[in-house]
Amino acid sequence: MVFSSIPFLFFFLPFCLILYYAAPYECFSVKSWKNMVLLLFSLIFYAWGEPVYILLMFFATAVDYCNGRLMERFGTTQGRRKIFLVCSVAVNLSVLAFFKYADFLIATVGGIFSIPLKPLGLGLPVGISFFTFQTMSYSIDLYRKEVPMERNYLNYLTYVSMFPQLVAGPIVRYSVVNEELRTRRIKKEEAQDGLFRFMQGLFKKVLIANQAGALWEEIRALEAGAASVATAWLGAAAFTLQLYFDFSAYSDMAIGMGKMLGFHFPENFNYPLSAISVTDFWRRWHISLSTWFRDYVYIPLGGNRKGTVRHLRNMLVVWFLTGLWHGASWNFVLWGLYYGVLLALEKYVWGKALDRLPKIIRHGYLLLIVVVGFVIFVFDDMGALGVYFRSMAGMAGNRLWGEECLWYLRNYIVVLLAAAVLAFPVYPWAKNRIESMGDKGRTAAAAISMAGYVLLFLVTVAFLVNDTYNPFLYFRF
Amino acid sequence: MEKGPVWENRIKKAAALVLTGMVLALAALFIVMDKKDFSENENRYLAEFPSASLEKIKSGEYMSGLESYLADHFPFRDFFMGIKTKAEMCAGKKEINGIYMADDGYLIEEYKKPENTERIGKILGSFAKELEGQNVDIRLMLVPTAVYVYGEKLPEHAPGRADVSAGGRSQMETAEAIYEISGIQSVDCCGELFVYKEKGELYYKTDHHWTTLGAYAGYTAYCREMGMDAVSLDEMEAQVVTEDFRGTVYSKAGDYGRKGDAITIYRNPADQLTVEYADTGETSDSLYNLEYVDEKDKYSLFLDNLHSLVEITNENAVSDRELVLVKDSYANSMVPFLAHHFKKIYVFDTRYYKQGVSVFVKEHPGVTDVLLLYNMNTLDGDLGIRGVY
Repeated sequence: MVFSSIPFLFFFLPFCLILYYAAPYECFSVKSWKNMVLLLFSLIFYAWGEPVYILLMFFATAVDYCNGRLMERFGTTQGRRKIFLVCSVAVNLSVLAFFKYADFLIATVGGIFSIPLKPLGLGLPVGISFFTFQTMSYSIDLYRKEVPMERNYLNYLTYVSMFPQLVAGPIVRYSVVNEELRTRRIKKEEAQDGLFRFMQGLFKKVLIANQAGALWEEIRALEAGAASVATAWLGAAAFTLQLYFDFSAYSDMAIGMGKMLGFHFPENFNYPLSAISVTDFWRRWHISLSTWFRDYVYIPLGGNRKGTVRHLRNMLVVWFLTGLWHGASWNFVLWGLYYGVLLALEKYVWGKALDRLPKIIRHGYLLLIVVVGFVIFVFDDMGALGVYFRSMAGMAGNRLWGEECLWYLRNYIVVLLAAAVLAFPVYPWAKNRIESMGDKGRTAAAAISMAGYVLLFLVTVAFLVNDTYNPFLYFRF
Repeated sequence: MEKGPVWENRIKKAAALVLTGMVLALAALFIVMDKKDFSENENRYLAEFPSASLEKIKSGEYMSGLESYLADHFPFRDFFMGIKTKAEMCAGKKEINGIYMADDGYLIEEYKKPENTERIGKILGSFAKELEGQNVDIRLMLVPTAVYVYGEKLPEHAPGRADVSAGGRSQMETAEAIYEISGIQSVDCCGELFVYKEKGELYYKTDHHWTTLGAYAGYTAYCREMGMDAVSLDEMEAQVVTEDFRGTVYSKAGDYGRKGDAITIYRNPADQLTVEYADTGETSDSLYNLEYVDEKDKYSLFLDNLHSLVEITNENAVSDRELVLVKDSYANSMVPFLAHHFKKIYVFDTRYYKQGVSVFVKEHPGVTDVLLLYNMNTLDGDLGIRGVY
C-alpha cells in the first residue's frame, strides 16, 4: 500500500487515526493503548503487500530486543557488551544481505567465474533497508550507553514497524523517539500542522513527482537516435526532479503523519537541489541516511582525524556502502563511489577554489553533477546507461535539438517550472514573509493558501482516481 | 509556537476540517453508495469484492483484490476523471491519457511504438500458408487510424504530425513490414482515404473507429484490387441514426462536454440479406442492431457488436463468390458495402472463434476469397490474432 493511493488515503489512514485518537493512553494496566492501535495498523500495513515477510520483521526485532536485554543483564564490561552488539549487527546484516544482496552476489560471482549459478529469486521485503538500519541504531546506541534499554517488546516492535516511516524513511533512530514511545502528548495544533505537512507531501508526490516521472518514462522509451541532446538532458532533469520530489514527498508525508500521531521525526531533506557544492548537497539530501553512515561507520573508522590516507579510505568505504544501500546493483555502487570521489576532490583539490566562484556558477556545477549522477542511478543496465550517456553527449548520431523536445516542453512546462521553483526554499521564504506581515495580510494569505490546499486536494484525488481508471476500450469491440 | 491573528487560526482550522471532512465524506459515500457492476464509460466490468481465504491472504491476492475493489467503486469517478483532464488542459497539456487534443474538435488516439510487428507478420503468414493449395484469393488490408490520416490536425510538435519525425512510430511503415513478413498480397487503402478526406469525416471525432465514409473509402480500395465495381454511395440509402455518439476516445480523454458524433448508416436497397449469428443462433435481415443507438457504446450497432462468427447471405448478390472476412471491429462498418458482391460472407472474430479459420475454409470449398482486415492501432496488442489458424 502506498501513501498516495485511494485505499490508504480514504480507508486505512482515517480508520487508523479514528481508532488511535479514540484509544486511551493507559487503561487496565496496559501502558499505552495508542501504541497497540498503532502497532496493529502498522502490522496490517506491512503485511498488506508481503504477508509472509512479517515473520522476518518479528524475527529481526526479537533478536535486537533480546540482545538489548542480554547486554544490560550480562554486559558488565564494554568488552562483554560488544559480544551482544556484534551478535545483533551480524544478524541484521545477514538478513539484509540474504534478502537484498544474495542474488546480486550470485550474479556477480557467476559472472566472474562464468559459472551458471541459479538466482534465489526472493522478493525484496518491503522497507528492509530502512528497518534493519533502525534496529541497528538501537543496538549500537545501547552499546554506547546513549539510550536506555527497551523493556517492552511490543513498544520496540511499534517503534520499528511504525507505518509512516516504515517503507521509505526517514530512518528514525530509537534515541529520537524512545521518550515519545512512552509518553507523548498529541496537541491539536500539531496534529493540524501534521495534516498540512502530509498534504504537502501528497501534492508533491502526485502532482509533481508522478508527472515528472511520466515525462522521464516517455523520454526513456525513445530510441537512442530519436532523442536529441536537448531531450536527453530534459529527461535526465525530469528524472532528477521525480526522484527528489518523490522521496522528499514520502518524508513529508511520514513527518506529517508522525505529527498527527504525536511523534517528531527528523527532517530528511533540506532543499538539496539548491545546494552549491557536493558537500553541501549531501548535508541536505536524505539526511537521516548520511548521518547514519557518518555516526555508525565513518566516525568509528576514524573519520578524517587519522591522516589523509585513512580519511580517503574511510570515504571510499562509506560511499561504497551508501551506494550499495540504495540497491543491489553495480550502478548504485558506481553512483556512491562517484560521490565519494567528488567529495574527496572537493576536500583536497578544488574545494577552496570553488568557494571563490560566484554562487550561480557553483550552483550550476552542483546541478550538473547531480543530474549526471542520477542518470547513473536510474539505469541498472550498464549498456543502457552507456547508450543514454552517448545521447546526452550527442554521440548517438542524434541532433543537438529536435522538435520532440518542444513537444515535451509544451506538455510538461507547467510541472517542470513548478518543480524547479519548489526545489528552492521559496516555501519557507514565503512563510517568513507572511509571518512578518500585519494581521490583515496574514489573514488574507491564510485564506488564499487554505483555499489552495482544498483545491489541490481535489485535483490530487482526481489524479489518483485517474490512475485507477482503466478504460478497457477493446474488450467489447 | 507563535500565535497568529485570530482569523488566521480560524481559517486554518476550517481548512483542516474541510480536508478531513472531504476524506471522511468520500469514504462514507463509498460505503453507502450502490455499487455498479459495469462502467459504461470505461467499457468494462468493475472489480468484485474479493472472497477471503487463507491462501489468498498469504499470497497477497486478497489485498490487491480489495484495492481494486476500493478503487473501482470510488464515488464520482467520472467526475474526478473530468477534473483531472481539466487540470491538465489548464496546464497546457495537449496529450492526455494517450489522446491528442487535436484541431477541429478531434480527439485522436496516439500510435504507440509497436512491439509485436515480427510476431504478427509471422502469424498472418502462417495462416496464409495453411491455405496454400486451396483455391482462394487471400488479401490483407491494414487500415491506418486517424493519427495517420489526420496527421496535420495533431497539436503542434506532436510526434507523428505530418511535419514531425514520428520516431519509429509511423503506422504505415509498420504496415509495410507486416505485409512483407506475412507475404500476403496487400490492399493499401491510404490513397483512397486521402481522396475521400475531401468529402467528409473519415474518423469519428470521439471514437477510435472510422466512420462509414472511411469504411466506404476502404471498400473502394478493396474493389480496385479485386477488379470489382464499387457501388456508388448515391445508390445506397443513407440514414443518420444518432447525432450523439461519444465513443471510446471521449471516455479515455475525459474532456467531457464535447459534442457527440453523428453515425450515418447505409443500406443497399438491391440487397436481400439474411444475417445469422452462429454463437447466439439469432437471425436478422439487417446488418445493424439499432438498439445500441440508446446505449453508450453506439458503434456496436454495426453487426451487433461482437460475435465469433456471423454468416451473411445475400440472395441478390452480383456473384456466387463467398468471402471469409477475418477482422477486428473496423470491418463491421465495411460489411454493408461488401455484402453486395458476395453470395455469402463469413465474418470471424478470432478473439472468440477458437476452431481455427483455416480449418473452416478447408471445410467449405465454396469459399473463394479471404480478406484479413485490421486497424493499425489495436493490431499490435491484439492477442486474439493467434486464433487465425
